[in-house]
Amino acid sequence: MNGFVVGLLHPLALPAHVLALLALGLLIGQQAAGRRIVSLAAFVIGVAAGLTAIASGVGQTSAADVLLAVAFANGALVAMARPLPTLACALLAAITGVTLGLDSPPEAISIAVATAILLGTGLGASLALAAIVAGTSYIASLGDWGRIGARILGSWIAASALLVLALRFARGQLF
Amino acid sequence: MARLRSALSLLMDRWPVVTAAAASILLFAVPALAHTGSSTGGFVGGFAHPLFGSDHVVAMVAVGLWGAFLGAPTIWLLPILFPLVMAFGGVIGIVGVPLPGVETAIAVSAVVLGSMVALAARPPLWIAALLVGAFAIFHGHAHGTELPPGADIVAYSVGFVVATGLLHLTGVAVGLLARWRAGRIAVRTAGGAIALAGVAFLSGLG
Repeated sequence: MNGFVVGLLHPLALPAHVLALLALGLLIGQQAAGRRIVSLAAFVIGVAAGLTAIASGVGQTSAADVLLAVAFANGALVAMARPLPTLACALLAAITGVTLGLDSPPEAISIAVATAILLGTGLGASLALAAIVAGTSYIASLGDWGRIGARILGSWIAASALLVLALRFARGQLF
Repeated sequence: MARLRSALSLLMDRWPVVTAAAASILLFAVPALAHTGSSTGGFVGGFAHPLFGSDHVVAMVAVGLWGAFLGAPTIWLLPILFPLVMAFGGVIGIVGVPLPGVETAIAVSAVVLGSMVALAARPPLWIAALLVGAFAIFHGHAHGTELPPGADIVAYSVGFVVATGLLHLTGVAVGLLARWRAGRIAVRTAGGAIALAGVAFLSGLG
């Protein structure tokens, strides 16, 4: 498998990244149709910034913990189902993007392969988020049960992220 | 032949009920081992964990049954609130904050929630939420102290929460039988059975 494909699948291979993408996708999907594009753009810019920082040799950060904390916040907001100001939603999307990028260091020997992995990761995460947003808005359009289902999923994501953060704290692995 | 066709037609008309009943039978086919937990990591280990404690299983199903009995908005509010409050209880357990009488409270939750269903009790929403929320903390605490030191804690936690949520939804699905007269009797009987199971847990028989 070449580096680009490895990167493309990377966001779907890590449970924490799937959790974060799902929470953000559900949150953006709950917002008014015209505002979704702003948050999607903020995520793409954020993930590009995070991956650029990794390419520049930022090294080890606490991005994984911040990503889980943002997944908790996004999941809880989905469960509450309150409309958010456009800027607040875009900010959450940007933070998710930056931390997801920073938490995706490529495991490659050559610079060419590492670059391909990073490009694939950026594209894969953005496409996955767009698909989740589209799916959420479609399900919400089906009626009350779709919207309630999204809220239940948000609650499950927030609960899972909170438990993981607590476990990491108890083991002295947090931040 | 006509009878068979009629029976099949009835089943097709009531497929949500049939599906819910089948799901419940499959769920209850899991052996009850009273809160022994599961020591394996990953999603499967986390998913199995809540299913291997009969006291937890019956209480979670009772939450769903009661929610369905109470109707909107409780029917969907409890499955949204419970995991969050339970996770808070889990955090308390994980960081080592002691909570007295956890196992007793879990058994009591089966008695109380089962009785609520059996008696078709309809308290105000805030009382129902407070009652279920209080029990959620004890259930979460018990699980929090039992979480194993697995390699993939994210997948484990997701599996654990999803299994608990599905137990609620199974209860809700079965509770929807209460739309019919015979179903209402069956659901209330199930509530009574859950309450009796809780009494057995309290007396050490379960």
